[in-house]
Amino acid sequence: MAERMPRPEDPHWTPAARAEFMRRRRGRNLLLLAALGGFCLLIYAIALVKLHEYGTMW
Amino acid sequence: MSGTALDATLGGTAADWLALLKPRVMTLVVFTGAMGLLIAPHRLNPVLALTAIFCIAVASGAAGAINMWYDRDIDAVMKRTANRPIPAGRISPEGALGFGIVLACASVLVMAMATNLVAAAVLALSIGFYVFIYTMWLKRSTPQNIVIGGAAGAFPPVIGWAAATGSVGLLPLLLFAIVFFWTPPHFWSLALYASGDYARAGVPMLPVVRGARHTRVCIMVYTLLLLPISLAPYILGLMGPIYGATALLAGVAFAYHSWLVLTDRQDAQGNSLARNAPARAAFKYSILYLFILFGACAVDRLV
Repeated sequence: MAERMPRPEDPHWTPAARAEFMRRRRGRNLLLLAALGGFCLLIYAIALVKLHEYGTMW
Repeated sequence: MSGTALDATLGGTAADWLALLKPRVMTLVVFTGAMGLLIAPHRLNPVLALTAIFCIAVASGAAGAINMWYDRDIDAVMKRTANRPIPAGRISPEGALGFGIVLACASVLVMAMATNLVAAAVLALSIGFYVFIYTMWLKRSTPQNIVIGGAAGAFPPVIGWAAATGSVGLLPLLLFAIVFFWTPPHFWSLALYASGDYARAGVPMLPVVRGARHTRVCIMVYTLLLLPISLAPYILGLMGPIYGATALLAGVAFAYHSWLVLTDRQDAQGNSLARNAPARAAFKYSILYLFILFGACAVDRLV
């Protein structure tokens, strides 16, 4: 059975560990947000250029 | 709770995930890929050209992440790699593998969308070569791992050229050959002073299996082979005198560094008595050599 994901509400966590967990999770989420946003912009830019220059995507 | 156990519980930071992409390796891959694109006879729209370079970077990172997933056992026993995110417990092996596969697929798909199927196919081939041929097969089975596996790192100029032209010509194949013959002396210089690490991990690098003396000879031989190959684009009329002169001077300097490695003060087994200073210098110079050579390609083409 897969291990349970660590949760900040686990009672045995110290406040410092909980704060560090939240900081890391926030950093990961921001990176993921930037990656997904960047990916959408990239596809949009490729579509604009290809449709403008070649009139087709493929 | 120990630091490692705590790290495993808290999960990796964004920097750990970026470290999975081996950013230092990526620099050289991106540079040679960009040069392949720059010297191609066709001009690609800047947005598509930047996308192609970005795809090469992401594909390199993806292959690096999958490599770290597969090599996590040997990374853990090597001093140089023990603090990588997986052996240090900051990222789970499954997470790293998934991350690598998603990035590999995305880079190939976006490359196909932005440029053409040839570039995407060569990109996929380079990822597959690095993961299946080098990482999973050659690295742990033969001291020639770097020689054949070096092909994986030689693909970027071909990919860059293919992205611009939709085909593969003689010049990118020569650039492929240059990186292919450059890789063994580059890695063996590193292996000379990191052979203890490789021996501990059971990786059959040349200094571990055949000894330091034999490795020094091989570094010299491959550097001498590299010299005429690096001059071939000029001799065949594919590059101009700027490239030719740079390749000659940089190649002679590389051969000089290899000569210093060969004649380093050493014991009967060929182990350095000078803390491998010539090997360290040769390793650093080999990186500079590739930047100089590919930079000269671009300057020669643009001037």
